[in-house]
Amino acid sequence: MIDVRGLTKVIDTGTHRVEILKGIDLHIPAGQFTAILGSSGSGKSTLLGLIAGLDSPTSGEIRLDGEEITGLAEDRLALLRGRKVGFVFQSYQLIPTLTAEENVLLPYELVGANGGSGTARARELLQQVGLADRMDHYPVQLSGGEQQRVALARAFMVKPAILLADEPTGNLDSANGRHVLDLLIRLNLEQGTTLVLVTHDQQLASHANRRITLQDGRIVGDELR
Amino acid sequence: MNRFNWATAFKIAWREARSSPGKFLFVVLAVALGVGSLTGVRGFSQAFASMLHREARSMMAADLSLRIFGPPSPSQLATLDHVRRQGAATTQVTETLSMVSSSAVPEPLLISIKAVDPAFFPFYGEVKLNPAGRLKDQLGAGSVVVSDDVPLRLKVSVGEQVLVGGQSFRIAAIVVTEPDRMSGSMNVGPRVMMSREGLERTGLIRLGSRAAQRFLFRIRPAGPDITSIKTELKHAFPEATILDFTETNPNIQQGLDRATTFLSLVSLIALIVGALGVATAMHAHLQQKMDSIAVMKSLGATTGQIVRIYATQTVLLGFAGGLLGILIGAAVERVLPVLISRFFQVQPEMTWHPMVALQGLAAGVLTTLLFTLPPLLSIRHIRPGVILRRDMAETRPGWRVRLRRSQSALALGFFILLGIAAIASWLVSGSWRDSLRIGGSFVGGLVVSLVVLAAAAWLLLKGLRLFVTLTPWKLPPPLRHGIANIYRPGSQAQSVLTALGVGVMFTLTIYLIQHSVLGEIRRSSPPNMANVFFLDITEKQQAELLQLISQAPGVEGSAQSLRTVASKIVSVNGVPVDQLQLTGIARRYRGVRALTTVEKRPEGTEILEGTWWSASPRAAAVSVSDNASKLLKVHPGSVIEWTAFGRTIRASVTSVHKSDPNRLVGFVDFILSPGALDQLPSVYYAAIRVEPQFVGALQRASYERFPTVTVVNVADILARVQEIVDQIAIVIRFISLFTILAGAIILASSVAGTRFRRVREVVILKTLGATRGYIARIFSAEFLILGTVAGVMGSMLASLFSAMVLKRFFKADFHFDPWPNLACILLTALVAVTAGWLASFRILGQKPLEVLRNE
Repeated sequence: MIDVRGLTKVIDTGTHRVEILKGIDLHIPAGQFTAILGSSGSGKSTLLGLIAGLDSPTSGEIRLDGEEITGLAEDRLALLRGRKVGFVFQSYQLIPTLTAEENVLLPYELVGANGGSGTARARELLQQVGLADRMDHYPVQLSGGEQQRVALARAFMVKPAILLADEPTGNLDSANGRHVLDLLIRLNLEQGTTLVLVTHDQQLASHANRRITLQDGRIVGDELR
Repeated sequence: MNRFNWATAFKIAWREARSSPGKFLFVVLAVALGVGSLTGVRGFSQAFASMLHREARSMMAADLSLRIFGPPSPSQLATLDHVRRQGAATTQVTETLSMVSSSAVPEPLLISIKAVDPAFFPFYGEVKLNPAGRLKDQLGAGSVVVSDDVPLRLKVSVGEQVLVGGQSFRIAAIVVTEPDRMSGSMNVGPRVMMSREGLERTGLIRLGSRAAQRFLFRIRPAGPDITSIKTELKHAFPEATILDFTETNPNIQQGLDRATTFLSLVSLIALIVGALGVATAMHAHLQQKMDSIAVMKSLGATTGQIVRIYATQTVLLGFAGGLLGILIGAAVERVLPVLISRFFQVQPEMTWHPMVALQGLAAGVLTTLLFTLPPLLSIRHIRPGVILRRDMAETRPGWRVRLRRSQSALALGFFILLGIAAIASWLVSGSWRDSLRIGGSFVGGLVVSLVVLAAAAWLLLKGLRLFVTLTPWKLPPPLRHGIANIYRPGSQAQSVLTALGVGVMFTLTIYLIQHSVLGEIRRSSPPNMANVFFLDITEKQQAELLQLISQAPGVEGSAQSLRTVASKIVSVNGVPVDQLQLTGIARRYRGVRALTTVEKRPEGTEILEGTWWSASPRAAAVSVSDNASKLLKVHPGSVIEWTAFGRTIRASVTSVHKSDPNRLVGFVDFILSPGALDQLPSVYYAAIRVEPQFVGALQRASYERFPTVTVVNVADILARVQEIVDQIAIVIRFISLFTILAGAIILASSVAGTRFRRVREVVILKTLGATRGYIARIFSAEFLILGTVAGVMGSMLASLFSAMVLKRFFKADFHFDPWPNLACILLTALVAVTAGWLASFRILGQKPLEVLRNE
């Protein structure tokens, strides 16, 4: 499902050059729940972002579902993400000017669909994450945990083949974090999504089928459960 | 802490302003536009005034000028002779209206004629000709020089012949500039300059013709001084306008003062829009800095210190805007003479006006500071605890606190208005009483407009939101998203709409009034009103001309005809005219006035006082127009004595009337009973209603038979009025455009102010799969809606304002015309989209990971 070959990423800030990823090779089969672990600055979030095509790597290649994405133009990448990739951020990243329901509906509208079936699915997803009564609320009117549950519903809206999550519980207290993680795992099982989760929390990673550890831009551990 | 002084505040303020140049660049520009138009207008005015002063002699073409309407009397001629014998050189300039035609275009063209003696004229200055040459060499009995539109309209070129008064003249050259044009009587429309012999040849000037005579004097340095000559002339010509070169033409000076005041205030509106922009930008800036202000406060900084930092920053912004504005002003100063070049061929010397620049700078800084006071003072309410309480819901303060806060806000608002009134008064030229009055009305009008605009903006935004929530249709997502953007936290949509709306409203109002006034003149000619007038018809021509008119095709109804006799008032109720208190326009009653007689009361004439005379009064009776009654203070029972061609006419006033202005008789102030003017030489006027497509033919036919009769087509007069109105309007529109520009810049600034939020959203959208095209549609929808709403608001209010102004000052009805409004809305939308994109196009290219990594 996800193929990464010889991936490097170098950032040139003008004054100095930072090698964030120093050659990553990785294959994640469809339906697998993979956790990427590593301390802060190990390059795990960058790896996730590159897999999502949010930036271009310095060298190497990435294939999603057999499709090479490294050379794709920006808009092609966006369209690909819209169809195949869901994303959950540490800081939720909801659009503040849209309601919960509208936020969930957004990816669906972006792939060009429009109409009643989308609304029904958005409502169903919000119901599944326990926010049936907060659909008309704006992000500022929701708590952190609620916002992240909206973000989860949004990520599953178009039934993506791949779901990427970057420290999804990082900003939440343990109860809320637990709730979000349960939802993530449940939705993953129900929809058969390939789930890649970036975290520095061993406890969280223990739920994954596979744990990859990153250090200084290199894979230093890869264990299957 | 005691060491914290203005220098430290300046250092911190500078550091902060420097770190976010994009956000402040726009507000600096907005202030610069206001200051620019202000200094431009005032700089030009000063240059113009100093030119009037410096070139006073050439503006008059003489040391002394005397203007009368009608020929001088024998005693006046004797005075002129006496002045001449004392060593003063004199020359006469006659100005009148007539017709010119060519073989290529037989349809005659209405022209202003100026007849001069090229041997003497001008005493000062120079008539510039193309091809270059001296007036003396070019102007003979058989040649004329003309304004550049004459050959164009008559399809002839220099060297070819034209006909004036039935006589053939060769066009010797085109007049590029003439020194005394601004001092002349008629300086609009096509113009022909000829020699006095030429004028003689045309036979246009006869007893009773309407013409302005200017006598120009050059005083010998060794001879009697100008004052004594002036006194002598004043005594002999009580009805004349006599000016020496040291006093600039009061009409010009007054016009300049009024124009400067008006345009300064229009500029001030642009400046206020700019200042509002600074205030909103500062407000948003402080909102973003809330955390750092709270941190500074918890580190021990006092409110005073922080206010000082941001006040310094505001002053810096105002100052930067002011400096840039002075540069823009220099450009405006150069553009203005080009805009008015059609009438005023002025090339004022472009110099540096330090006082004007200083005034502009001060107005810029003060206005900016005034409007930024509310956000600056709100710093007081930021509590250090805000860092800790961030996630807690904002508690609503009790009513006591709210009342206290609103009280101080009201007081502050009042103070700001006072400040603006003071600045406005400062820009008004005239007495301090005028300044206060105009400054006060300016602020009053501004407050009303701003409140109405802000309320309209609020309503429209509310309505739009309601529409989106309640609409049964599924709006396309980018549109829905774009609308949602307008309501984003800190979006400043309302202030943007108000700022842009002020500009649109003002510019469109000027346009609508300009067009309504012209339209009103066009419309107000009722179906039976005459549209072709015949001036200066002689006794001999009159019957034949009337016959020609009655047989012409397309004529509706019968021609009106009016016999007039040129006369001068000798006394009113026994008081000689030179002892009457006649000032201002009333002075015209000292000069030549027309008298007429009628058999019975003319149609459409209303009696205001007294009664119309009986069928055949024994003694001559007169009915006086309401205007003349007011100015001369005559009423039924008064006795007026005139002199005409050596005969004295004495009549008692029996009534005061008001004429239908659409009838010929309305042009005459005194209507005498039959017989009173028998056997006196007279001049006739005629008027007729002709179907528009036959007007040209009638003009041609009359001109062929009676070349000295001036045929005035109402359309010609309209064209001239339009020319003047357009010229004035273009200058006002040019200056008021600065307000729209400032509004657009405020929009750009508010978009730039929300840049961080926008970048974040663009990145999220891209992560979720949005293409750049999709995001572009969202942004375009947002800007388009803002622009359209501002346009709709501005044009609605412009229609309302125009209707009010027309009703109040022009006593005219407003007719709603959808096209200018639509065009205006479209243009505003376009301006808004452009401004919005200028401030945000870079956001589109943002790579998501770069932004997310920095979170």
